[in-house]
Amino acid sequence: MDRTLLILATLAFLGGLVHAIVSLRAGTWRENRWHWVPMAVGLVFQTAFLYLRGQQHGRCPLTNLFEVFIFIGWCIVLLYFLVGATYRLSLLGVFTAPMIALLQGLSLLSSLDKSVPLPRGAPNPWLEIHAAVSLMAYAAFALACITGVMYLVQARLLKKHRIHGLFYQLPPIHELAKAIQRLAMLGLLLLSAGLAAAFPLHLPVSNPKLVFAWVVWGMYLAINVIMWARMLSARQIAWLAVVGFMVPLVSLWIVTAA
Amino acid sequence: MSSMQSICLGINYRTTPVELRERLAFAGGKVPQAVEEIRRLPGFAESVVISTCNRVELYAAHSHEHSETAHKALLDYLIQHFQLQPEQAEALVCYCLAAEETARHLFQVVSGLDSMVLGETEIFGQVKQAYKVALGAGTTGRELNRLFQRAFNVGKLVRETTAIQRGSTSVGAVAVDLAGKLFDLKTCRVMLIGAGEMARVCAQSLLSRGAKSVIVSNRSYERAVELAAEFNGTALTFDQWEHSLHEVDIIISSTSAPHFVVKPEMIEKAMHSRRGHYLFLIDIAVPRDIDPAVNDIEDVYLYDIDTLSEIAEEGRRERTRQLTLCNRIIEEQLEKFGRASAYPSSGDAPSHSTP
Repeated sequence: MDRTLLILATLAFLGGLVHAIVSLRAGTWRENRWHWVPMAVGLVFQTAFLYLRGQQHGRCPLTNLFEVFIFIGWCIVLLYFLVGATYRLSLLGVFTAPMIALLQGLSLLSSLDKSVPLPRGAPNPWLEIHAAVSLMAYAAFALACITGVMYLVQARLLKKHRIHGLFYQLPPIHELAKAIQRLAMLGLLLLSAGLAAAFPLHLPVSNPKLVFAWVVWGMYLAINVIMWARMLSARQIAWLAVVGFMVPLVSLWIVTAA
Repeated sequence: MSSMQSICLGINYRTTPVELRERLAFAGGKVPQAVEEIRRLPGFAESVVISTCNRVELYAAHSHEHSETAHKALLDYLIQHFQLQPEQAEALVCYCLAAEETARHLFQVVSGLDSMVLGETEIFGQVKQAYKVALGAGTTGRELNRLFQRAFNVGKLVRETTAIQRGSTSVGAVAVDLAGKLFDLKTCRVMLIGAGEMARVCAQSLLSRGAKSVIVSNRSYERAVELAAEFNGTALTFDQWEHSLHEVDIIISSTSAPHFVVKPEMIEKAMHSRRGHYLFLIDIAVPRDIDPAVNDIEDVYLYDIDTLSEIAEEGRRERTRQLTLCNRIIEEQLEKFGRASAYPSSGDAPSHSTP
C-alpha cells in the first residue's frame, strides 16, 4: 500500500513535468497557480507514505536509505512550495520534478527498502530532530543546486544570444542568484540547528555520520562566505551550488549505506 | 424595422495615411458626445467609438433592414463631424463590417492581431477605455455589451493560450527585455557613449521601465548636456566616461568612431570594482564601438545592433507563426458566440470598401 502511494507521487511529478515540457515547447507556459497542482498532489502522496511508514515504525521514518531519500524528496517539494512562492519561480517545479521523480523512481526500483532491526523503546527525540532537520538542510542544498542549474541555463542563453523559448520562461538571473544565496544560507542554518540537536546525544567525535555532517557544514559555510563576500562571479557561485550538492549527496549515501 | 444588429465602420493604418487619420481622430474629451450623437442617428440604439493613433472605429447597434443603410449613415456622420471636403470624403476608404465580421474584427483587434505591431498589448486597454466611456455615456445596450464583454474574454484567452505577445519586435524593446533579465531595472544606471538617435530611444525605453539614472558622454559636450537634460541625467566629457564604467550597469554605445572605443581591458578593470555585478553592453554603432572580445569577460553580456535586430525579427516571425493558432481560437469563440461566419478569417486586414 505505502509503495503504491509513492508510485502515485512519482507519476504526479512526471505528469507535471510532461505538461510543463509540452507547454514550454508550444510556447504557452505562463506563470500561474495551476502549475503547482501536480507538485501538490505528489506532496500529498509523499506525506501519506511517510505517515504510514511512521505509524509502522513508531518513529520518524528514516530507518533505511530508501526512507531517507523519500524524506529528502518530501523536504525538497515542501521547500519548493515555500521558495517557489517567494521568488515567483513556478518554473522551479519543472526543474525540481525530474530530480524527485528520479530519486523516487530509483529508490523504488532498488533494493534499498530493507527492514532493519529497530532499537526497543521510545526513540530519542534529539536523534529524531537531528536527523529530520539535517535532511531538511540537505533538501535546501538540493534546491540551491536546482536553482543553480536554472541560473546556468539562463546565463548561457544570454551569453550566447539564444533569445527564444526557454529564455522568456526562465526568471531573470538576478532573481535566481538571490534565490541561490538564500537557499544556501537556509540550508546552512538548518544544518547548524541539526548539528546542535546532536550535542545532547553525546555521540563520539569519530562517529562517521557526524564527521561527514561537519564536513558538509564546513563546506557550505565556506560557500556562504564566498557568496556574501562576492569573492566569485555569480556564474561561478551557481556552479558552486550545483557541484557542492554532490558532497552531501555522496556522503549521505556512504554514511547510510555503511 | 428588424431586431438589433451590430456593425462597424472604420479606418486604420492600413487603409488611411497618417495625415488623414490625424484629421479623423476623436479627441478624448469629445468621445462621449460622439457616441451620443451616433446613438441618436435614426435607426441606431447603441454606439462605441474607438479612436487611437492607428485606428478610428465606430461600433453601433442598429435596426435598419440592410446594414448598407446603417454603414452609409455612419459614414455620413463621420464626414459631417469632421467637416471633410467633398474630395476628402471621396478619397476616404473605410471598412464596413456587418454583424459577423464586426465580432470577428473586434476579437482580432483586442487580441492585437490587427495592430501595426502584431500582438501588442496597448490596444486591449484602449478598447476597454473606449467601451468604458460609452458605458459611462449610456450608449451601450444588450447588443454591444455582449459583444465587447465577449471580446475582452477572447482577447485574454488568445494572449494567455498563445505566444502572440512573447518576445519583442523592436530593437529598443529587445534591449529593455534583456536588461530586465539581468537586473532589477529600478536600480539600474545607464551610460550613453555617443548621442545617436537609436541610443536615445533605447535609453528612453529603459527609463520608462524604471531605470534609475542616465549618464551621457559625447564628443560634442554640448550635445551630451542637451541629451542629459532630456533624461534629467548627467553629462560627461568624452575623456571622462572610462572612469565611470564601474558605476553603471548598462552601457549603450553609438559613436561614429572608425575603431573600437570600448576595449576588453577597460571592461576587465571596471569589473574588478563591480564585485560580481553584471554589466550589459549594447553596441548600436556601425562600425562597432565595442570589441566583441568583451563578451568573453565573466558576468559581461554584449549585444550589437545585428544581434538585437535579429532577435526583434525573430520576435516578429514568432508572432506571425502564432497567427493561425490565434485565428483558430477566435473562430471557435465566434462559434460559441453564435456569430460564426461562412467566411473564416485569413488573418489579414478586414476587407476595405466604401458603402
